[in-house]
Amino acid sequence: MTSHRLSSGGLIDRSAPLNFRFDGKSYSGFKGDTLASALVANGVKLVGRSFKYHRPRGILTAGSEEPNALIELRSGARREPNTKATTAELYEGLEAASQNRWPSLNFDVMSVNQLFAPIFVAGFYYKTFMWPAKFWEAIYEPAIRRAAGLGRAAGIADPDYYDKAWAHYDVLIAGSGPTGLAAALAAGRTGARVILCEEDFTPGGRLIADGGTIDGMPAAEWLSRTLAELGSLPDVRIMTRTTLFGVYDGGTYGAIERVNDHVPSPPEHQVRQRLWRIVAKRCVVAAGALERPIVFAGNDAPGVMMASAMRSYIARYAAAPAKRMALFTNNEDGWRTVETALGAGLQVAAVIDARAEISPAHRSLASKGGFPVLHGSVSGIDGGKNGVRKISVSLTGGARAEVEADGLAVSGGWNPTVGLTSYHRGRPKWRDDIAAFVPDGAPPGMVAAGAANGAFGLGACLREGFAAGVTAARDAGHGNGSGSTPVADDEAFSLTPLWHVAGKGKAFVDQQHDVTASDIELAQREGFESVEHLKRYTTLGMATDQGKTSNVAGLAIMAAVTGKSIPETGTTIYRPPYVPVAIGAFAGHHRDETFHATRLTPSHHWAAEQGAIFVDTGLWKRAQWYPRAGEKDWLESVTREVKAVRGGVGFCDVSTLGKIDVHGADAGAFLDRVYINTFSNLAVGKARYGLMLREDGIVYDDGTTSRLAEDHYFLTTTTAKAGLVMQHLEFCRQVLFPELDVQLTSVSDQWAQFSIAGPKTRDLLKEIVDPSEDLSNEGFPFMGAREVALRGGVKARLFRISFSGEMAFEISVPARYGEAMARNLMIAGHPFGVTPYGTEALGVMRIEKGHVAGPELSGTTTAADLGLGKMMSTKKDFIGRVMAGREALIAADRQVVVGIKPTDKARRLRSGAHIIPKGQTPGPDNDQGYVTSVCFSPTSDHWIGLALVERGRERIGEIVHAHDPLRGEDYDVEICNPVFYDPDGGRQRG
Amino acid sequence: MRIICPFCGERELGEFTYLGDAKPVRPAADAGEDAVYDYVYLRDNIAGVMDENWYHGGGCRAWLKVTRNTLTHEISGVEAAAGAGARQVAK
Amino acid sequence: MAEFSWETRSPLDRALVAGPNGASGDAGVSLTEIRNFDLVQVMARRGKAAEMAEAAKARFGVAAPETPNAVGAADATLIWSGPDQFLALSTGGKHSIEALAPGFTGSASLSDQSHARVLISISGAKARTMLAKLSSIDLHPDVFGVGAAAATSMDHTSVTLWRGADRDGQAVFNLLVFATFAESLWHTILDSAAEYGVEIGHPEELA
Repeated sequence: MTSHRLSSGGLIDRSAPLNFRFDGKSYSGFKGDTLASALVANGVKLVGRSFKYHRPRGILTAGSEEPNALIELRSGARREPNTKATTAELYEGLEAASQNRWPSLNFDVMSVNQLFAPIFVAGFYYKTFMWPAKFWEAIYEPAIRRAAGLGRAAGIADPDYYDKAWAHYDVLIAGSGPTGLAAALAAGRTGARVILCEEDFTPGGRLIADGGTIDGMPAAEWLSRTLAELGSLPDVRIMTRTTLFGVYDGGTYGAIERVNDHVPSPPEHQVRQRLWRIVAKRCVVAAGALERPIVFAGNDAPGVMMASAMRSYIARYAAAPAKRMALFTNNEDGWRTVETALGAGLQVAAVIDARAEISPAHRSLASKGGFPVLHGSVSGIDGGKNGVRKISVSLTGGARAEVEADGLAVSGGWNPTVGLTSYHRGRPKWRDDIAAFVPDGAPPGMVAAGAANGAFGLGACLREGFAAGVTAARDAGHGNGSGSTPVADDEAFSLTPLWHVAGKGKAFVDQQHDVTASDIELAQREGFESVEHLKRYTTLGMATDQGKTSNVAGLAIMAAVTGKSIPETGTTIYRPPYVPVAIGAFAGHHRDETFHATRLTPSHHWAAEQGAIFVDTGLWKRAQWYPRAGEKDWLESVTREVKAVRGGVGFCDVSTLGKIDVHGADAGAFLDRVYINTFSNLAVGKARYGLMLREDGIVYDDGTTSRLAEDHYFLTTTTAKAGLVMQHLEFCRQVLFPELDVQLTSVSDQWAQFSIAGPKTRDLLKEIVDPSEDLSNEGFPFMGAREVALRGGVKARLFRISFSGEMAFEISVPARYGEAMARNLMIAGHPFGVTPYGTEALGVMRIEKGHVAGPELSGTTTAADLGLGKMMSTKKDFIGRVMAGREALIAADRQVVVGIKPTDKARRLRSGAHIIPKGQTPGPDNDQGYVTSVCFSPTSDHWIGLALVERGRERIGEIVHAHDPLRGEDYDVEICNPVFYDPDGGRQRG
Repeated sequence: MRIICPFCGERELGEFTYLGDAKPVRPAADAGEDAVYDYVYLRDNIAGVMDENWYHGGGCRAWLKVTRNTLTHEISGVEAAAGAGARQVAK
Repeated sequence: MAEFSWETRSPLDRALVAGPNGASGDAGVSLTEIRNFDLVQVMARRGKAAEMAEAAKARFGVAAPETPNAVGAADATLIWSGPDQFLALSTGGKHSIEALAPGFTGSASLSDQSHARVLISISGAKARTMLAKLSSIDLHPDVFGVGAAAATSMDHTSVTLWRGADRDGQAVFNLLVFATFAESLWHTILDSAAEYGVEIGHPEELA
């Protein structure tokens, strides 16, 4: 038996011992222990060093509000810093290490910071490190980061899997104490769908440690009966290890379920944690209250513990934080700890009660237990890293006393958990009778009940919880059947507010951030009186515990020094999450290769078989080039592909283009309004290039649209804008022009579309297209579009359009034929040396041809900038027409698309280089544009590019300077016609 | 946030795309540059209740006019755009 | 003259590997693909919703759904896909776009979606639990009963979801997903279902 383990009692499984290591030393505990309770049972008092002063710290609480006992849990890739020992469940082989100490917890070099304590006051960093600025990064920050701080992140990728899920319920209950269970019974019995989230791994809340009598039976029996009944209801779900951390709009709540944090690593195929988005019609906050400390000198010493936590360790875990404890209380409830300790056979050294009066029952308990009751306050603690030894007491009336004890339980009263109810900028209200903030309203659909609402008696919790459950179920549409309210007595309540005992020595308010009472007083003296300023200046409440044990005490001290009341001083804004939530849980499976969904083209797997290199284009994987054996780099492959197309024939999967069926009697009129050019006069069987503007006159998207029937157009968009154009067109159809008879359907995924290009395109097509189809220049002229039969019976759509400047067609087949189409193009084209090409070669050929694409459709260019101004119809209204005519958009000195070529033909061009007039020093005053697209042109045998250049079209032949400060390059380029290849277009029409 | 799509029922925010103020009406073709300028650039930015255009792109693809309080996110009304579905709409 | 083979290939052709997947033991999720179907988007012309409804009734013998539901006809399933529109799912060419076109002339616009979507069938004791990871909508049987349908999103991907007839006393969820997203979503489904154990069935023909 370990040194501080009680011989009987508790909810631990003594038949299941567990071995664990803390700071390399071996200990044992039991199943049902937390790491904190197991350390308590082993008599370990020193658990960590504090953030700023490296003071020795122990365990303050038994829950998720813990500011001190933060450890690094696990090792390697699973190492998790700042884990609360008080909520970490013990498992066999658990490894934990203390934080913020060097070289060891017992001998910490940085504890010399305590000697410099006078300088580490509030605002220290702001005051000291303001100047010179460059010292901050180089010297101050690294030094401070070494000295201060918390745990270390693993630094390598988390190997575990996290996921996310949705849940839908009528009634959501936060907390499984008496309030939450009563609410669950009341709501669940009506048939309502109920979900109850409990942070702990065991339901019951304070019932577990504090017991009581409910409906005439011991609390433990009532608890097990209640859980059995709730378990029998099919639509009631109790989730333990699940913290409700936030409330969002429309009845949406966030919860984090620690599915496998209580085992060394998740079993195969299981997740570590799951993030729940719970949609609930009603929510009952039964999250209880947190006991609050009293601030006094030395209150951070190991062995000083919240009174309720001490009860939990004794009653729930059969672990004695102290063998001879003292209690410092200002209220009736603190005395329960004395009862619990005595009941467990532990000694009580003294009770220090700040109240003037104590109840006769407690007075007789003291005489029976043989310990003194001292009226006064604790003014100091004698004890170092090994814990409390002696307690100094200032007695009412001025005398002093000392108490020898090995632990001090502190109770300053209880603060209702007001986070969830305040997350929509709600401010809690002050109640003088309990000296605490309680919720003042809540987000829609939410109500607080029980201790979370300031009702501290067991009977009151049950009544409020039950009533809240009845109401919540009824509001969610479920009627009767709640049965009767569980009954229990209400304990006496008596509290004399006491926040801070003045005295010599550091008295800590926020123990995690090492904020002392004198820091708050200093902040006030320096003018930071507002609570929001106080918080930021002192960092009070800004640590990972979000000030759960410190905020109210901090503002009470501020109230005292300013002479205001606590409610006048007010609270800061509450924000989720209630507890820290791992980023991994928010990401779920969206990481690495599954960061986002992936779209695959119909010929993807065929291209992969060919060894294609793929590039991510939005969600798509596209074949970028097809390397062949012996090719030394991408440029060699791409150059070969371009030459093969220009000299023979090649094909490329262009299925990623957005494709939209536009149907309806008014389809032509509709397209006339969304494109700058006219489509209503397009003949059936013809395609036309179209340009779309935004309403502000800037180019939005482009693509070819074909008329397949009188009332049916087939519209294509760029790959990048496919979804946005669909959304835009639906807006035009539904909101702007609802009178038109138009229907839109995305057919992007219906068709596998290939571009076939090169002088031998027609030869290839003749092989694969049914011989009855006339593919001659007369039978299928440039910009023709119609359905054709392929050999073997499959029907395809054929479009005579060219992006490459070559004789070219695009051919569409239903998508499940896409892979067969690629194979058949290889067969049909074999005699002509057909070459599959990727997006790089596609890009090279469009630059050679001077076609604009994404880099030129940059959201700043007009149709005229792109050289397409003549397309703009003057005979109709269209989106962007009026704004496109604004002075600045038609100014003569706009930057327009031109071609560029290097004067030194061996020079490589790069996108992004700035265009500067020759002979001038680069700078913002003479910046005349930039290079948008570049490629090595196999046709020209040197690099070429497109650029946006001021008055560019008037400057053909001018030598300008390309300035690329990013890459440190400067060189001359000649402005030229953007159409480098076949400028009169003979090849594509041939 | 959750929006009750008149066609699909209540759905979560992720299915919708926000466009903005639903009040401006696209001017007639001959309204002149000032009117179009106002339509394109002038937006109310109300701290309170306003009508907004939202697109149910992750669902039925209907455009919706959502009446929302920008301070509380309370949604007090949702109606479909005139041209959602096939209803005849007078010019 | 070269010989061409026009074999169709499902977008899930490589991804679907029949057999057990994920956790061992009784599979909580059964998963397979339904292949070979005709799927036609039918959208009413402006002002012609009533005419479209009449044409649908005449063609399929049942009223097309006007709310998010899937309606079973003798030889087709009509699935709501938005206001005044539905998808007609059938097999064997009986209700292909060519077959449907004459009956809907003037009342509706038709768009072939047969190759644009992949149909995935999800069932098993843990099907709903697994789908809660992918779908933000409430699939509780009281809310999403047999025949309920939804145009919604899974993993930021648009899908059409409907509940078919129960099989062995368990709910069957049918999922139409865009073809180019199908392999990606299939892997996401397998990821989500792994902890419950998955039985991946051989692809089935549409019944």
